[in-house]
Formats: sequence, structure tokens, C-alpha cells
Amino acid sequence: MLKYLGKRLARSFITLLIILTIVFVLMRQMPIEGYFPNFDKMTNEQIQNGLALMGMDQPMPVQVLNFFKNLFLHGDLGTSRIYRNNVPVTEILAPKIPVSIQLGSMALIVALVVGIPMGTLMAKYKGRLFDHIGTAFIVFIQAVPAAVYYLFIQLYGTELLGISLIFDEENWVSWVLPVFSMSLGNIAYYAMWLRRYMVDESTKDYVQLAKIKGVSSNRIMFTHIFRNAFVPMAQYIPTSFLNTVVGSIYIESLYSIPGMGGLLVDVVKKQDNNMVQGIVLVFACVGVVGLIFGDLLMVLLDPRISFGSKGGNR
Amino acid sequence: MTENNTILSIRDLSVRFSLRGRVLHAIRGLSLDVHRGESLAIVGESGCGKSVLNKNLIGLLDSNGFIDEGSIRYYGMEKDESAPDLYGQDENGVYADLAKFKKEKDWLRVRGKEVCMILQDPMTSLNPLKTIGAQIGEAIRLHQGLRGKALKEAVLSIMRDVRIDNPERRYKQYPHEFSGGMRQRVVIAIAIACRPKILICDEPTTALDVTIQAQVLYLLKELKKKYNLTVIFITHDLGVVANIADRVAVMYAGDIVELGMAEEIFYDPRHPYTWALLSSLPQLGVKGEELFSIQGTPPNLFTPVHGDAFAPRNPRALKIDFVERPPYFDVSPTHKARTWLLDPRAPKVEPPKIIQKLNSEGGAGA
Repeated sequence: MLKYLGKRLARSFITLLIILTIVFVLMRQMPIEGYFPNFDKMTNEQIQNGLALMGMDQPMPVQVLNFFKNLFLHGDLGTSRIYRNNVPVTEILAPKIPVSIQLGSMALIVALVVGIPMGTLMAKYKGRLFDHIGTAFIVFIQAVPAAVYYLFIQLYGTELLGISLIFDEENWVSWVLPVFSMSLGNIAYYAMWLRRYMVDESTKDYVQLAKIKGVSSNRIMFTHIFRNAFVPMAQYIPTSFLNTVVGSIYIESLYSIPGMGGLLVDVVKKQDNNMVQGIVLVFACVGVVGLIFGDLLMVLLDPRISFGSKGGNR
Repeated sequence: MTENNTILSIRDLSVRFSLRGRVLHAIRGLSLDVHRGESLAIVGESGCGKSVLNKNLIGLLDSNGFIDEGSIRYYGMEKDESAPDLYGQDENGVYADLAKFKKEKDWLRVRGKEVCMILQDPMTSLNPLKTIGAQIGEAIRLHQGLRGKALKEAVLSIMRDVRIDNPERRYKQYPHEFSGGMRQRVVIAIAIACRPKILICDEPTTALDVTIQAQVLYLLKELKKKYNLTVIFITHDLGVVANIADRVAVMYAGDIVELGMAEEIFYDPRHPYTWALLSSLPQLGVKGEELFSIQGTPPNLFTPVHGDAFAPRNPRALKIDFVERPPYFDVSPTHKARTWLLDPRAPKVEPPKIIQKLNSEGGAGA
């Protein structure tokens, strides 16, 4: 298992290198106008000097190598040019990452804690009132644009809780609404898929055999069906965590949360290459780690899936 | 045969299904007695109601199906005082009327402990995420109340009973590490672990290859003796029937058309459907000749059946077969058939040549 993990990590590392290289090269293809706030007024010489200062007059492979050298030897992602002039990228991102990760993790936990029991109960009472209410909720969440109910939650939620519209890191009450808003989508998602997988599983022969054995339907639901239905869902959980973090742009701007949800779009628009690279690196890391966790979870839950290639399974 | 030898008595059972606004009459007034300790085979083609009949015995009828008449009397259960209306008494003693069982709470008293069932496809009837030991253990814990070490011992001993080699190692393995035949042994082990009185085998060998079939049938025979089981076999494989059954019930379109000891059914069949069924056995075919097949299709059970359900497919049908449903005529104390051909007023109709041949072989053998 350790050997597998080692291999897996090494491969993920290579994946990250490839992602960064591609992003780096692509960003360098952008028109150079974007690099200078007052490009129109600059002389040709000034432009060349500026480019040389950024190391951009060198051939592409050298630039890539320099980038990686700085990253691995000094943990340096370069400095921001436009977003905040001459501030190191790491310094800009450092306070933002924990906020986003914390928000995302809490939203994920809420989604699991609410979504899984909801899906289970919907499957258990399939076709009955609870199932209908749950389905209505899921359809609502999926069909109505999130912006609509995010706004409602913010307007009426802050009034109800008696707090300000703006997020305050020190006050835990102000975490409630953003976390709740962020988890809604995943609650609907988990409940929908879990219900569906559980309903599918409950028609399987092994459930029939468990009934024949004389196991009560409640026990069958929890000891037989649930685990089987949860396996196909498990691998998506880390990925949906990533989506929550990345997709929190709107919520972060609604509540003025100092996270990095909206940052990527912002710096891409501003053509701040070093910032883009830094954020892509963070997201790619979260994504790769998420995938590894997803696979690990699958292996733990399902004995038919094993580490390595020669599991010898049919 | 004494009366109190009956463990199960199905009387005038009628089961219907509502399907897209229409009603299908799947079991049409079927009566059958099952004797303690026998192995009874129920044979018939697909869709004749074999499985529906047996699902009634364990309360697993699909939710759109319902019993609208008749009773299923099971003698062998103690009366549950909290639900006295489910029980009754007749000439065979106190019985539980399974046809009246509705709630899961009531069925949990029957399933496993009284009636257990082996499903057709061993590849899908085990939970893929639980070890074999846990799955057999669950049945033992439920019905024998064992825990911990005693539980494990009991599981290992059952695994030995069904001839799983190296049970200590196999105990911790998962279903995907077992072959089809081995999985069916595990399924049998689970059924046996419940200590049922009646074991229903729903085509237990259909999904297995022929050599494994023979082993599994042998195993079932052995276990039947060891655990004193009453076994009901559902099958359309007459080879299996000949191998294992004491008595045979031939089902057609939701009713039993002929019932008798295995030898009587094989060597002296009386119902035209049984004739047709036996004639279509590949083993009886003559090389170079086309194999016999029954013409037509089974009747549509959405519409009421008049007369003998088999009449439209029966080249030897009498006029009355299309008008009135025949009663049972006794051929011997243990053999009866539902056909007008046995009426004393009926013209003499010769069975097909192939059946006559069987008859003379059986006669010579006896």
C-alpha cells in the first residue's frame, strides 16, 4: 500500500509539473500590452527594458527552467505586477488560502451531514411524502440559479441573525450563512445520487437474500444497501470539495470574504501571469490530492478494488 | 400417509397482479399439500407462476401483486398471541395462514427460521462488500443468537457442511474471490444457517455448469438428510427433477395440472401438458428426427381462461376442454391430474408414442 501511495504521489507530482508548464507557456503567448499599465506612453526601449527585467527576453525553455528553479529552491512564485504591484505572489495568497479551505471544508461537512441522511431517508420512504419534499428541494436547488437564493439567504439570513452583510472572520455567526449557502448545492447533489444508488441497490439479489434470511428492512437499509450505494459516491466527494472552493466566487464576493474564489478570474483578466500561475498551482494541488483521497476512499470501502495493477480480481 | 404429516397446505390460492391498470391472474385457484421431509419439485415453463407461488411462502411478492383468495396454511409455527387472527386450527393442527401475513414484523417470524430460499444466480445473491464469514454469520446471529467465538465456530462448521475447503482462510474472503459454484455453496450455507424447516430452491443450478450442477444437487440431498429439511424445488430442468424429487407437481398457467410421485410422472403421465413437456426432453429425442416442441404460446393471463388452459395448444383436446375447467381425477392415491381425458366418459386418447415407450420402460423396470 505504501509503495502504491509513493508511486501515486510521484505521478501526481509530474502531473503538477506538466500543468504548470502548460499554463506558464500559454500565459507567455499573451500580447505584451497587458504587462504594462501605461503601455501606450512607453518608448520601445522602455518596453524592452521592462521585459528584460521580468526575464521575458530569454528563450521559453530558459524561462520555464528559471520559474521552476525559483519555485523549488526559494519557494518563490514570482511577484505580482498588476494585481498588487511588486508584492510576492506567495504573500498575497498566504492569508487567502486558509479562509477558502476552511469555508470549503465546513461546507463539505455540512453537505455530508445533511445530504447523506436525506438521501438515505428518501430512498427508505421512496414514493412517500419525505421523498417528494426532498425531490422538490433538489429540483429547486438545481433549477433555480444559485445567485437568486444566495441573495435571499444573505438578505433575510443576516436580518434574522442580526449580523452585518459583510463577513467578519472573528465572529463565528458570520460564517454560518456563507457555509450554508455553499453547502446547498452539494446537499442536493449527495441526496440525489445517494437516493438513486440506494434505490438501485435495493432491487439487487443480495438484498433479496438478506430479506429471505430474515433481516429486517431497516437493518438491510443500513448494513447492506447503504455501503454499496456509498461506494460509487465516495470518489466524487474530494472532487466536489474542490468545486466548492473554486465555485465560491459569488459567495465570497457577496459577503466580501477575503478568499481566493474570485481571484483567478480577476488576475486572468488583468493578465497578471505570476498570480495566475500561483493560483493554478494551488488549485491543481487541491485537485490532485482530492483524486488521491477519492481513490483511497474507494479502496477502503470496496474490497474488490485493490492497490496496484495486479490485484488478481475478476 | 397420515394427515399430520403435512407441513404446508396451500388451498385454492389465487394471486393477481395489477399492471398498468389491468389485472393479471397469475395463480388461479391452486391447491397443494407439502409433506414433512419430502422433496417436491415444481416444474413448468417460464411464466407459469412457479416463482410467484413460492414468493408467497416467504412474503416477497412484488408490491403490485396480491392474494385475493385462498389460504397458505403452515403447520409448524407457534401461535403469536399478539396477532391471533393470523392463526387457525384444522384437522392437521394449529396453522399460521401465511396468506394473511402482511406486516414485516409478522414475516420476520417466518423468513429464515421457518422458510428459507436459495436464489437462482449465485453471482449476484451475495453482498459484494461483506466477507463470506460475516454474511453466513449474520444468519446464525439472527436465528441462533450466537456471538463472538461461538459464532465463528458455527460459521466454520456450516462452511465445512457445504464442503468449502479451508474454511478458516475462506471465512475472511469476499464474494469476488469465489467461483460461481463456490458462491452457490455459500448461499446454501446461509440458507442452512437459518435452520429453516422448509427450503425453497428457486432453480438453484440454472446458472451453473453441468459438473457443478451435479455437485450442488448432491450437496443439497446430503444437507436435506442432515438437517431434516423439507425441500421445494422450482425448476424447468427435468433432469434435476429426476435426480432429486420424491414428488413432482407440473404447473401450467398458474395451476397445478398434474401431481404425483416422481416415477408416476415420468413413467405414467396423464395430462397432455406433461406428455408434451416430457416429449420435448432432448434425451428422449431420436437422432435424425426433429426434437418435439410444444406449439403455440401460454395463455394470456390478463383475460379469463375458459376450460383447460392447455387446450388451445393441445392437438388431442376434447370439445369440453374449451368449455369447462376439468377437476382433478385420481390416478392412484398419490397421483392426480386435471384433465378431462381421465373422465370415464372421455374417449380413449392414446398418449404420444414417446410417452408410451417411457411407460413400458417404467413398467418393465418396476
